[in-house]
Amino acid sequence: MLQVIEKAGFRNPAVRDFFDSFSGTSKENVARKFGVKGANFIAYK
Amino acid sequence: MAAVCPVGFDRNRLKAEVRATYARVAQDPHGDFHFHRGPEYAARLLGYDFSELRSLPAAATAPFAGVGNPFKMDPLPAGATVIDIGSGAGMDCLLAARRVGRRGQVTGIDMTDAMLERARGAAREDGLDQVRFEKADMTKLPFEAQSVDLVISNGVVNLAPDKPEVFRELYRVVKPGGRLQFSDIVIESGLSEDVRNNIDLWTG
Repeated sequence: MLQVIEKAGFRNPAVRDFFDSFSGTSKENVARKFGVKGANFIAYK
Repeated sequence: MAAVCPVGFDRNRLKAEVRATYARVAQDPHGDFHFHRGPEYAARLLGYDFSELRSLPAAATAPFAGVGNPFKMDPLPAGATVIDIGSGAGMDCLLAARRVGRRGQVTGIDMTDAMLERARGAAREDGLDQVRFEKADMTKLPFEAQSVDLVISNGVVNLAPDKPEVFRELYRVVKPGGRLQFSDIVIESGLSEDVRNNIDLWTG
């Protein structure tokens, strides 16, 4: 994702925070298997 | 995460599936879905202020299905022009509207009619004049070039079949000095071709 954001022209894309967004859902095991998490992104023009 | 959906993947079907899934969320936010919804989830796992969420109309908060918290990052400046890509029932837009104040402007973009209807009703109920909602595709935004200070979004860009196209469009509308400040999913491991072609995993 960061590369895609930068390629579009934005500067200094970064991930600021992670979230265990799928904890307790029916897809929790799938999320853990593939390392799926929520994340906060920031980038500047 | 795949930047572009697989060759041969039916993009129109994907968009239709996304619309159908989130229309069901709008109509029945407490239904059976494989992702969390609602203000309790937003406060417990994403760090939203529960007392602030309780002060918003339930029409906006009950269907909330974001995956992060754009408000945990830099403060939204008073007077800013903000767009929310995939605004759903409008919870983040209402929070943004309170932060930018009456000199600011917040526009939520969504492609699901049922969500737009909920969001507009919630904005009326909350009495915020500086927020509006429009139906649009995130790759064809109804904004002039360099007209937006800040883009927020929450768990939506991952649903787009062509992410580079989305970010090119966002770059077009953001002012020089403006920024993206959004939440989405990350996938730490590589995905097999079977998984990448599973439309159920794209729409949730």
